[in-house]
Amino acid sequence: MAEYRTVHLPEDLCAAAEKWTPKRFESLEALLRFLLAEIVKEDGSKLDQAEEQMIQDRLRDLGYI
Amino acid sequence: MKRRSLVLVTVDCLRADHVGFQGYSRPVTPFLDLLAKESVVFTNAIVAGVPTYFSVPAMLASRYPLSLGRDVVGIAPHEPTIASAMRQAGSSTAAFLAANPYLSSRFGYHEDFETFCDFLTDSLADGATLSRAAEDKSLSDFNRRVRMFSRGTHLTAAAYDELYFWYCQWRSWRENVSMDGLRRYPAADVIVDQACSWLSGIGDQPFFLWLHLMDPHYPHYPPQEALAALGLSHFTARRARVLNSAWNRDDIGPQRLRRYRERILSLYDAGVYWVDKQISRLVSALREWQRWDETIFALTADHGEEFLEQGGRYHSPVTMREELVRVPLLVRMPGVSSRTAKGPFSLIHLAPTLLEAAGIAPPDTFQGRSRWDQLSTGTDLPSELAIAESVGTGKNILRADERMRPCQMAVRGEAYKLVINFNEKAERLYDLRSDPREQSPLPAGVARAERARLLQAAREHLQKTRHNQNSDLALRARLRELRHAVS
Repeated sequence: MAEYRTVHLPEDLCAAAEKWTPKRFESLEALLRFLLAEIVKEDGSKLDQAEEQMIQDRLRDLGYI
Repeated sequence: MKRRSLVLVTVDCLRADHVGFQGYSRPVTPFLDLLAKESVVFTNAIVAGVPTYFSVPAMLASRYPLSLGRDVVGIAPHEPTIASAMRQAGSSTAAFLAANPYLSSRFGYHEDFETFCDFLTDSLADGATLSRAAEDKSLSDFNRRVRMFSRGTHLTAAAYDELYFWYCQWRSWRENVSMDGLRRYPAADVIVDQACSWLSGIGDQPFFLWLHLMDPHYPHYPPQEALAALGLSHFTARRARVLNSAWNRDDIGPQRLRRYRERILSLYDAGVYWVDKQISRLVSALREWQRWDETIFALTADHGEEFLEQGGRYHSPVTMREELVRVPLLVRMPGVSSRTAKGPFSLIHLAPTLLEAAGIAPPDTFQGRSRWDQLSTGTDLPSELAIAESVGTGKNILRADERMRPCQMAVRGEAYKLVINFNEKAERLYDLRSDPREQSPLPAGVARAERARLLQAAREHLQKTRHNQNSDLALRARLRELRHAVS
């Protein structure tokens, strides 16, 4: 079961964000969860690693490392 | 050192081999050819990315396009650029950009320009050159059914596509159209008019002026005056529309498209001519206002354009061919002798070089290095490799998830060029001296040391730019994307 953490945010910021929150998010918490998940997503870094690995493999094939 | 002003002109789709000062035989750039005689001309200027959204961040912010992550497009919020450095140093700043949607405030390009005009009005954003027949709803319903039946065999499908294409042309032929009416972006004269009007109002303040011109960009509807000057008056607006529509066909192969190539190139060249003529007007105005002698002037392109050299059209970032990555670069700096720099010069170095030439220290975040020392003293530029990178095409490049694909990279040396396609897990090495058209990649066993050297450079580039990511800028850019995604 997922553990939760309490985060303290200024009331006026929360109120402003709630006002802005698009319809697809049922609550401010849902919006924050989405934003944080998107920010920590690591799709790009996996590709970066694979690309670096590919070059390394080619250099090894050529006998240079 | 006295503070200088700076004009940066970027021309969309301008190929290095279509300007006179780099050897093009058609007289499309008479003014720039003269200016080249008092400038530094880089005959092997290489963009850092293709297309516009991967190329321009390198020119303005001296940053490799994928170094903030491939989900980032444009300039990150508060990212240091030529504009921010010039503005902080007290210059007036303005940008007049000819309606390229990727160079808009949506992608952060407006920051640090006191005057920012991207001409992205509704009428320009949705201007369609397709015939009205294609837009007629009742006709579309009928056509949809006929089209569906035609897909039964390859032959009937081809026959339908052919008939429908020419039917659309026939319908639209009756319309009274003009080049100006069909053009989808403001022509260079409109941009230069705005720039001159702005310049006339800033007094004797130092300034940074950025112009992005779209005239050589598809669809090609150059002003009649440009066509007449090149002896191409026979191209009417109607003919140009048929040609542009034919050139855009996806249902015919390169062999059939090739019959339109020369005429499309003529329209393209007329666009280049118009750019040249308007730049001449801008420089005349600067001379008249006695600003020219203190002004650094740079002209380059965000990328080139393919005209079926290897079957490709436009500027899709798939091949990293020379037609796309090699662009003209001319820099005129007061007090600096004219010369030709022949080695590869990455546009990543352009922003720091221009800033230093203007007497301003480049920001620490810049990944390129100033070459002002070498240019101002007339010494040789360092021999170096130029790297260009991009992510292959998805359906909608504006969606970050569509950009989560393997990248392409070109490592361009003076004699050799390595193109790495990470999607195919393959690399191609070309000897540009014997194969300038990149038609025959060298077999794996040939030029092994060169291959290894360029691969090593690619590895170092990845390590340097991806591992040392500026996480603050990346986060800001990502948040901007998210704001657009959720709102």
